[in-house]
Amino acid sequence: MALSETTTSAAAPARRRARLPRFAWPWLLLLPTFLAIGAVAFWPILEGLRLSLTNTSLITRQSDYVGLENYAGLLSDSNFWNAWGHTVWFTVASTFLETVIGLIMALVLCEHFRFRGLVRAAMLVPWAMPTVVTSKMFGWLFDGQNGVVNWILMNIGLLDDKVNWYGNPDTALTTLIIADVWKTTPFMALLLMTGLQTIPKSLTEAARMDGAGAWMIFWTIRLPLLMPTLLIAGLFRALDAFRVFDLVYVLTGGGPADSTETLSTLAYKSLFSTLEFGYGSTVSTAMFITEAALATILVLWLVHVIRRTT
Amino acid sequence: MTKTKHTPVRSAGPAHVTKMDRRAFLATGSAALGAATIGMPRRARAQGRTEISFASASFFGSETFGDLVDSFNESQDRVMVRYLELPPPSSSTEVYQGLVQQLARGNGTPDVFSQDVIWIAGMAAAGWALPLDEFVDDAMTSQYFEGTLAACKWDGKLTALPWFMDTGMMYYRTDLVEKHGGAVPTTWAEMAKMGKAAQEAGDAEFGFVWQGKQAEVLVCDAVEAIASNNGAILSEDGRSSRIGEAEAVEAIQFLHDTINELQISPSDVLSWDEEPSRQVFTNGQSMFLRNWSYVWPIAQDPSVSEVVGKVGAGPLPHFEGGSSASTLGGYQLGMNANTADRDAAWEFMSWMSAPEQQKRVALNFGLGPSRPALFDDAQLNEEQPFMATLRPVFTGATARPVTPEYAKVTLALQSGISKALVNGQVEAEMQALSSQLDGIVG
Repeated sequence: MALSETTTSAAAPARRRARLPRFAWPWLLLLPTFLAIGAVAFWPILEGLRLSLTNTSLITRQSDYVGLENYAGLLSDSNFWNAWGHTVWFTVASTFLETVIGLIMALVLCEHFRFRGLVRAAMLVPWAMPTVVTSKMFGWLFDGQNGVVNWILMNIGLLDDKVNWYGNPDTALTTLIIADVWKTTPFMALLLMTGLQTIPKSLTEAARMDGAGAWMIFWTIRLPLLMPTLLIAGLFRALDAFRVFDLVYVLTGGGPADSTETLSTLAYKSLFSTLEFGYGSTVSTAMFITEAALATILVLWLVHVIRRTT
Repeated sequence: MTKTKHTPVRSAGPAHVTKMDRRAFLATGSAALGAATIGMPRRARAQGRTEISFASASFFGSETFGDLVDSFNESQDRVMVRYLELPPPSSSTEVYQGLVQQLARGNGTPDVFSQDVIWIAGMAAAGWALPLDEFVDDAMTSQYFEGTLAACKWDGKLTALPWFMDTGMMYYRTDLVEKHGGAVPTTWAEMAKMGKAAQEAGDAEFGFVWQGKQAEVLVCDAVEAIASNNGAILSEDGRSSRIGEAEAVEAIQFLHDTINELQISPSDVLSWDEEPSRQVFTNGQSMFLRNWSYVWPIAQDPSVSEVVGKVGAGPLPHFEGGSSASTLGGYQLGMNANTADRDAAWEFMSWMSAPEQQKRVALNFGLGPSRPALFDDAQLNEEQPFMATLRPVFTGATARPVTPEYAKVTLALQSGISKALVNGQVEAEMQALSSQLDGIVG
C-alpha cells in the first residue's frame, strides 16, 4: 500500500516533467504578457510601418504598396521639417527648463520646514490638471487683450504695449513652452525628490564634518549621485514632450503661419483631417524613429553614468 | 441611372436585411456609431416596414434629431428609420471620420446621412453619395437658395439635398452706425472708414474684429473677402487655383491691412477664432464683427452682453464692383449609394427637407432654413425675428472650394493665408499657395 503510493507520487512529477520541460514553464507563464504587449504595442507599430509603405487613403480608396515613396515625399516636405524643428526645439527647451527648475524645487522640498507636507501636495496640483484645462487657462492668462500676463508686465513697466502672445509667430511657441513647463515641472520635482531621498545622509554629514559647504556638497556628492535619476526623469520627460499635442491643438491649432506646428498635430491632420492613412503613418513613423534615436542617446548616457558611479 | 449594384444579401428581403445589417454593424462598427446603436431604444414597431438608418451629427435645441426621426416613424407605416447619433458638430473631424468609416465599408449603412457642405464633393467623388437627379426636378430645386444648391452639386449632379444652413454675416453696433454716418456700410472701404472714425472718437476700441486663427474659420473669412471682390479660390471646375489672381490677392491684402495699415483690427485677430472675437464684440469693444448666426442670441442676453438692443446684423460688405458674399455652412442630406432601398431613403430625406420639418428645425434648433419661402412664414418671424434678417445674407451664400480634396485644400489655405497675414508678403505667399493648390487639385 505504502509502496504503491510512493511509486505513483514519484511517477506523477516525472510524467509531468516529461510532458513539459522545465525551461518551458517560464515562457508559458510569460506568454499572456507577451501576447498582451504584442497586441497593444508591437502590432500597432508594425501596422503603422506597413501603412507607411502604402498610399492608403479613405478618400481615394487606394491602398497599394508604394515602397519608400512616402518617405521620399516626407524628406522634401517643408511642412514636415518645419514641424520636426518645432518639436525638437519644444522637447529640448521644455525638458531642460523642467529639469533645472524641478531640481531646484526638489532641493527645497527636501529641507525641513513647516507645512512641508502641504507644500509638497500643493506643488503637484498643476501636474494633476488635465492638459486641456491647462491650455484653456493659459489661453486666458496670455490673452493679448485681456490677459493677466500682459496686464502685470505693463504695470511693472516691462512692456510698453500689449503683446499678442499666440498671434505672433515669434512668441507663440515660447508661450506653449512656458505652459508646458508650468504643468510638468512638478512631475520632474517629484521624481528628483525621490532620487535625493535615496542619497545616504551619512555621506553629506561626513562631507560637512570635513568642512564642505552646501554648494560643494551639491556639486560633488548630491548631483553625481542623483545623475541616474536625473537622466531617467529627463528621458521620461523628453519622450513625453516630443509627443506634445493637446497644448498645441487647443491653443493655436499649429498657427499662426505654421509657427507652432508639431509632429503630432501634423500627423493628426494627415491622419484624421485628410484621412490619408499612408502618409500620416509615414509622419508617425518618422516621429517614432526620432524618438527612438533620442531615447537611445539618453539611455547610452545613462548606462555610462551608472557604470561610473557604481 | 442605376450604376450601383445591390449585394445579394441586401436584396434578399427587408427582414433579412435588418438582421445582417446589424450583425455587420456590430462586428465592425466604429465606437461612436456602435454605442449609439446599442443605446437606441426602439420606439416604434418595425414589423413589415423597411428599416433604414440615418446618421447625423447631434445638434441640440429644445428637442433632438432623434425626436424628428420619431415623428417621421409615427407619420407613416412603410419606413422605419433608425437614428445613429454622431458627435456634435463642434467635433466635426470626429463626425467626418465616423461617417467616412461607415460609408467606406459599402454595406449600405447609414442609408441616409447629414453632411457638412465641405464634405459633399468628397463623398460624391468617392462614390458614396448617390446622385439624386432621378428624384428631383427643376420645380423642386427652385425652392432652395441657389448658393446652397450649388454647394450640393458635384460634377453637375445634385448629390445632396439642402437641409439647413448657416453663413457668415456682419454684426454692427446700431448706436455707433447712427453716430458716425447713419447708413450701414456696404463696402469694405466704407466700413473701414466708419470703424476708424468710431475708434478715433473713442466710441469703440476696435473698428472691426474677425477671425484670423490658423483654422477652418480663416478659410471662411478669406472666401468672403475674395468672393466679394469677384474672385475665387478655385476655378469653376475645381481643377485649378485662382488664389494667385489679383482679386484674391487684393482681398487678402485688405484683411492684412485691417491690422497694419488701417489699424481697425487688433493683431490679436491672428489668434482668434469665433468665440474670442464674439466676446470682444459683446463686451462693447468693437463696432463691427464678422461671425455666424449663433452670436445673435448671445448679443441679446443681458447676462453676458453689454450691447443688448444696440446690435444689428446683415450682409457683409463687398469691394467696389463686387457683391456681398457669405461663406456657406450647415448640414445637408445625402443618400448612401449602397442603400438597399432608395425609395425608402428618399421618402425620409425629402420629408426631412420639406418645409414643415425645416420650419420645425428653425423654430426648435435655431438653424436657418434652406428654403427662401420659409422666411415669409409668420410664426417663424414672430418666434425667431432674427431669421428675417438672414434672408438677404443667405441669398449671398457662397460655397467654399468645391473639390473632393477639400481636406488638403483647406489645410494648405489655412497655412498659406496665415503666413501672408503674419508676414505681409501677400502677393508672394498667394503665388506660393496657388502653385501648392494646383498641385493638390490639378
